[in-house]
Amino acid sequence: MLEAVTNIPYPSWLNTGDNAWQLTAATLVGLMSLPGIAVLYGGLMQRKWVVNTMLMAFSGFALVVLVWVLWGYNMAFGPLAHLGADGSFWSNFVGHPHPIVSHFGEQNQAVSGANTLIPWHYPTSTLAYFQLVFAAITPLLFLGSLLSRFKFKAWLLFVPLWITFVYCINAALLWGGGFFAQKGAVDYSGGYVIHLAAGVTGFVGAAIIGPRLARDKNHALPSNLMMVAVGSGILWLGWNGFNGGDPFYAGVSAASAVLNTNIATAAALMTWVAFDMLFTREHKPTFLGAINGMIVGLVSITPGAGWVDGYGALIIGVVASGIVWVAWNYLSKVKPFSKVDDALGVVYTHGIAGLLGGLAVGLLADPGMIEYGVAGKTYDAAGSFSVGGYFYTGSMHQLWEQFLAASWIIIYTGIASAIIFYIVKFVCRGLREKDEVLEVGDLAIHDEEAYPRETFAERVTSLSRG
Amino acid sequence: MKLVVAVIKPFKLDDVKEKLKGIGVNGMTLTEVQGFGRQRGHTEVYRGAEYEIDFVPKLRIEVLVDDTEANAVVDAIVESAGTGKIGDGKVWVLPVETAVRVRTGERGPEAV
Repeated sequence: MLEAVTNIPYPSWLNTGDNAWQLTAATLVGLMSLPGIAVLYGGLMQRKWVVNTMLMAFSGFALVVLVWVLWGYNMAFGPLAHLGADGSFWSNFVGHPHPIVSHFGEQNQAVSGANTLIPWHYPTSTLAYFQLVFAAITPLLFLGSLLSRFKFKAWLLFVPLWITFVYCINAALLWGGGFFAQKGAVDYSGGYVIHLAAGVTGFVGAAIIGPRLARDKNHALPSNLMMVAVGSGILWLGWNGFNGGDPFYAGVSAASAVLNTNIATAAALMTWVAFDMLFTREHKPTFLGAINGMIVGLVSITPGAGWVDGYGALIIGVVASGIVWVAWNYLSKVKPFSKVDDALGVVYTHGIAGLLGGLAVGLLADPGMIEYGVAGKTYDAAGSFSVGGYFYTGSMHQLWEQFLAASWIIIYTGIASAIIFYIVKFVCRGLREKDEVLEVGDLAIHDEEAYPRETFAERVTSLSRG
Repeated sequence: MKLVVAVIKPFKLDDVKEKLKGIGVNGMTLTEVQGFGRQRGHTEVYRGAEYEIDFVPKLRIEVLVDDTEANAVVDAIVESAGTGKIGDGKVWVLPVETAVRVRTGERGPEAV
């Protein structure tokens, strides 16, 4: 009798569907940064700043990768450090900085302070990679506020410090089983941890670093709207990985989060287009307005993608887009917004949109939207996890927790970012490139330009370079 | 020898080329330029920020001609480039001191 040889090449706790989707979702989110944000921002910037913009995006991403695997992941998602009394804030706000790159670190089963009930069915590498791309996109978002004057060296120092002292702490508090998570505040995919934080940091940074050159602001025409389209399309569709990967199981919550994402985004895009046609002086639909609406929809559904139903997603998209449209066109003319040169308006499209989406969870979360069930029971039996907002439960509790968490994010991120900016300012002897450099742009900083004309250049052969 | 310079609306190029071919002119140099005279510019809006653009895209045509042909060329351009609206452009004539055909080295009127 022949014995069948069964070869199972992975551990029993590993679910190939979960692992495959999580890795795919993570890669989609990574694409949102590179090339998504790189070409979206590059296309929005005037020609003289395209190279600087794209290099800051790529280098920022790369720095986060390194910080994350060497100490950041465990600070955000590892066992929480007991720095105070049990149960106090000081024992529930950050994990231990520790690398995850040993063979054990990379290949053992993923665990996290957040997930005590149900195990995860893929290795730490998968989870760390997934969380990494979320961490990595965040600096690229607030980069949008600081473009065309932030000193490149200062950027290289700022990113690792910000990830370490701001992102990892916010993530541990809201996702890593930390203080606000324990109180019941929720953030499905990062409307608070990523977008609200990015909006605040961008605004604070723009205020501290100072405005663009007046001449740059007066000639701030986009260099390539087709590249904006490429970046935006990747952002929208890639976001299905952003929200679809955040339930951490390739199950029904992932599917509904994905659908909700597209509903909110489509609604938000059309709302902004409609507002441009109805309420601007020119009454014309604009492509860049549509993209703004798209981004607002994506950001505002992020805190609640798997907890609101489709109607909730629709409402969130329309309302957030309308409010941010008003903020973009009117709040921007009022102090302090009028005094701060947030180059790409990140405080509106990410900051305000993220805040609105996070608060909307407190109103619109439908307890019938199950995120996951408890092991051993049917997935929607008692003990399954969902969130209830005011319109379903009649209770303001969730809204209150969302408000508290938002307050923390805004205040802590604002203050900590400011401190880091000033430290970097001291170490780098200034946060701005010199005015003579700003006048020229890419060529002065990088010796490269976005669209060089080969006809007018000649290769120089010298002893030092072949 | 004369250099006839014309600034015209870009979409009239085909008409001007045909007309000039018709009167025996077979060479010209073209540059894309921006200009304005009495024609008003326009506004562009990017992300809610308005930008005024005074300049209008135009084409600059240069034709080297013999003294005797200059007027005919000017008339031909004026006829074919005009639309009757503001912004049709201008034509002017400059005297040319020397002209040389690079391939053969011919100088003077033979080079035109």
